[in-house]
Amino acid sequence: MRRSPAFEIFRYAAIALALALTLLPILWMVSMAFKPIPEWSATGADLTWIPRAPTLDNFRFVFGQSTSDLIVALERTAWRPILASLLSAVFGTVIAMVCGTAAAYGLSRFGSGKNLPLALIQLRLFPPMAVMIPVMIMWAFLGLIDTWWGLALIYGIVTLPFAFWLMKTFFDEMPREIEEAALVEGCSRFRVFMKITLPVMRAPLASSALLVFILNWSDYLIALLLTTKNWVTIPVYMASLSSSMTGQLYGAKAALGLLAAIPPVILGIAIQKHLVRGLTFGALKQ
Amino acid sequence: MTTIRLENLVKRFGDFTALKTMDLEIRDGEFMALLGPSGCGKSTTMNMIAGMEDPSGGRILFDGRDMNGVPMGKRGVGFVFQNYAIFTHMTVRQNLAYGPKMRGMSRSEIDRRVKNIADFLQLTPMLDQKSAKLSVNILQRLAIGRSAIVEPAIFLLDEPLSNVDAAFRAVMRTELKHLQKQFKQTMVYVTHDQLEAMTMADRIAVMDHGVLQQVGTPLEVYNNPANIFVARFIGAPGMNLIAGELAETDRGLAVDLGSWGVSPPLPDDLAAAASAAGSRAVQYGFRPEEATLGLEGQGLRSRVTFVERIGARTIVHVESGQTVKIVAENDVGCSIGDDVSIVPAPAAVRLFDAASTAAIRGG
Repeated sequence: MRRSPAFEIFRYAAIALALALTLLPILWMVSMAFKPIPEWSATGADLTWIPRAPTLDNFRFVFGQSTSDLIVALERTAWRPILASLLSAVFGTVIAMVCGTAAAYGLSRFGSGKNLPLALIQLRLFPPMAVMIPVMIMWAFLGLIDTWWGLALIYGIVTLPFAFWLMKTFFDEMPREIEEAALVEGCSRFRVFMKITLPVMRAPLASSALLVFILNWSDYLIALLLTTKNWVTIPVYMASLSSSMTGQLYGAKAALGLLAAIPPVILGIAIQKHLVRGLTFGALKQ
Repeated sequence: MTTIRLENLVKRFGDFTALKTMDLEIRDGEFMALLGPSGCGKSTTMNMIAGMEDPSGGRILFDGRDMNGVPMGKRGVGFVFQNYAIFTHMTVRQNLAYGPKMRGMSRSEIDRRVKNIADFLQLTPMLDQKSAKLSVNILQRLAIGRSAIVEPAIFLLDEPLSNVDAAFRAVMRTELKHLQKQFKQTMVYVTHDQLEAMTMADRIAVMDHGVLQQVGTPLEVYNNPANIFVARFIGAPGMNLIAGELAETDRGLAVDLGSWGVSPPLPDDLAAAASAAGSRAVQYGFRPEEATLGLEGQGLRSRVTFVERIGARTIVHVESGQTVKIVAENDVGCSIGDDVSIVPAPAAVRLFDAASTAAIRGG
């Protein structure tokens, strides 16, 4: 199909606008991360895109090395929140993917629990805030407040519907003949699932897991309510980066934000091939 | 190396009956084709033999052993799927070795078998390639190889050639026949392509709407169709059928075909059978290849409406109320609008009861 030049110009302009809207804040964060305090503080001089005196002070600061300009006593460094985020997001993803995949497979292949999909999706029908207070009470009762495993558990529960629905769609699309071919050869159901189904489904699994991980990694609200001191996550820790002297520590926040963006980006690049295949899944030619 | 018996086999899906009481014996070492249009129940029958579906009624016996409740992995069947069902995350070699490995064969035995089957199916050059990137033709060879390698006593193929291209299909027809000759399995082959059934099968089971219509050798089914469905379905083009009524003439019993005129007298045995059958309304049938086309004289009167020249032969469509096709020589000299007369070879005439659609058989 040939499009008119006017349409092509419009198309590229639209793409450029969309990219600008999404990328400019990220670029600004990158810029901020490398600026010294006079350049990012509220009282600072005129703002520039390129730092005039680039520095790594912001990064040093969040990891506990105080610098001459930032004479703020940090209660704790970013090490522990990074660990908390990693542990809770990774294990939350594992919980959601293991349970979600198993449930999706059972439903897709054997049709048991016909109401399960809707029961699970209704977990997403109300705002998380509506259930967070009861969850807080339960977690307090179970002694799970301010623990990374308590956080991982609630992350797994909250993202389970996503994992389930994504995997159910993928399992529905997977040709059953592939499994039947292995069953005819005398393979047990469980072995078929482990040795045939999961390997064939690795692309959809990877893309679902990445999506779930990003959801968990970027959570703020749940972590804010369920952690207090020992296991606050990166977003919660980031919110606390302020001082009475300088107000919000934008440079430090930007530095930490930049670091926090690294895991999803690396994972995304690593499974990029699978991501595309996961979205256009089809294990065999029809 | 196994006889398969289907006894009163029934399959229902909810209210829908996919297969109505089917009885069939597939003999030891036989190549049986289940032939019929889509939705005729042939794949359902096959899936029940494999154990993928449970029958709603009736029994499946392998060498007299009831297979009810025997899981498919324990039935000793090989199954080739229409869409190959290749394990795309494995190499060609791993795909071939899968069955033998599942059966706990030794390393050296697996290697020997993989080598043999790869040679036989010309898969040797791509043994260590990932199977995801192979062409459709090679995938289908691989699918056949993966099932054949364990030398199953029963080999089930579900429309294995319907996705491959025409030239390759012709090659595979020959190869499959060779394969069966070599391993002597009992082979059940589901297809809607009568050419595949006619060329490969020892016997054909023709099915329609969940009912077994006829079982016989390709020639039996072709020459003596049991009913109107089989007559129309087998052959390309299918048998010509003209509605008519039995009529007494001075030269013996014939069929009054309305605007076509009166047919030549029926052969004695057919005439006897027709009068014994009682009903007068019949369908008068003959193969397009078994009639001669004349411009003049005795025969069924009609007019040419279309001439299809397909190279070796010419298919002439003639009409007189309903259309009949005649396969003539490639240089037949007739054109649209010509008045012609058709003379079916007397021995090739078949009669069907118009009400029951069953064949009326003489002799």
